[in-house]
Amino acid sequence: MDWRVRNDGGRLVASPTGRVDEESWKAFSTQLTAAVRDAVAAQVPLVLDLSGLEYMTSKGLRALTMAKNEAGGKVVIRLAAPNETMRRILSISRYDMLFPVVDDVDQAG
Amino acid sequence: MLVRFWGTRGSLPVAPHADAVLAKVARALKAADGRRFANEAEAAAFARANLDFATRGAYGGATPCVEIEAGEEAFAICDMGSGLRDFGLSATRRCAEGHPRVYHFFLSHLHWDHIMGFPFFRPAYESGSRIIIHTGHADAEAALRRQQEAISFPVPFDALKAHIEFVVHRPEESFEAAGMEVSLVRQSHARGSFGYRFDRPGKAVVYSTDAEHKPEDMDLEEDVEAFFANADLVICDTMYSLGEAVSLKQDLGHSSNVVAVDLCHAAGARRLALFHHEPSYTDADIQRMYDETLRYEEAVRGGRPKLEVVCAYDGLEVAV
Repeated sequence: MDWRVRNDGGRLVASPTGRVDEESWKAFSTQLTAAVRDAVAAQVPLVLDLSGLEYMTSKGLRALTMAKNEAGGKVVIRLAAPNETMRRILSISRYDMLFPVVDDVDQAG
Repeated sequence: MLVRFWGTRGSLPVAPHADAVLAKVARALKAADGRRFANEAEAAAFARANLDFATRGAYGGATPCVEIEAGEEAFAICDMGSGLRDFGLSATRRCAEGHPRVYHFFLSHLHWDHIMGFPFFRPAYESGSRIIIHTGHADAEAALRRQQEAISFPVPFDALKAHIEFVVHRPEESFEAAGMEVSLVRQSHARGSFGYRFDRPGKAVVYSTDAEHKPEDMDLEEDVEAFFANADLVICDTMYSLGEAVSLKQDLGHSSNVVAVDLCHAAGARRLALFHHEPSYTDADIQRMYDETLRYEEAVRGGRPKLEVVCAYDGLEVAV
């Protein structure tokens, strides 16, 4: 899994690529937690651009939960541009009811 | 080894109401579309071939009780939920045909849904029965005695005629019972629960129910994966969706279908049985959860061999 993050007009956009699974979840979680802290410090929303992600297992999903707990309601974490597989995983896990999911990074506000 | 599911529901015994049965009959008649059947066997064959399980069958509503048949010398039973009553009747018939009246129980924990069947376990009332209760909880005997106190049940524990003994085990020590090597592991649940692994040469079955796998404890899951390693069948608590398990149902001590799949993938297990179904779920809800689990397994399989997933129901038998 690779990870890039950029400031983008009043929001932080983080872009993981590859897979988040039992091999890569720790790196994903560490990067995500750091991005949440940066977003809280800057008081901007965090957008997770999923367009480069092949899939995410429950380890990645639970890392999202830890990130949400870290944010503590101070910033919103939005999930953007999931591929068909990721959209299915978000639906099966009901994570699409825990996080706002949008089709396009530009819609993520 | 043969695994028989006598009770697969979590928390509370349930039964479908009349309107749920009527809906199944209506769906079946609609699917038949005016066909005529010579007899019930022909109609049943049509139902098996054309109707989904939630319509032609039922997942059942008895609470956890799973038999592991591993040899002729003794019965092996995981938990004493309300499914134990039917197991007791079956065991009585088999004993009449010569099966030894020796029963090894393996208790995950002492919550009500996992022990409520014992007062209705017929062999406990027979003087020729020998019952060995394996547990990780030192207060297992107190729990079984308490539920047969006069305020709760008309027959006291001391009136049971079987020879009953309790054996408290420590997780780090495996032991032999019912022709199997048995090991146990502590799990996250209110007051703690224990998962069991049953090994025979070349075969392994894991019973892991009432276990929560929390986000903050993911670092510890390598231990769970080692306990599940290369098992032929893992029976797993899949009571909630992951979204529920980390939010509304957090700290209730249960797991999800997607975590169960991931643990089995990482462990190299061959088959997963979805278990401890939520009592408010209809048969259609459980079928949907099962279908979603199959799609999730395929989505995250990567380069691994396919994990076979079955959805446990009362009456299911799985050959291992």
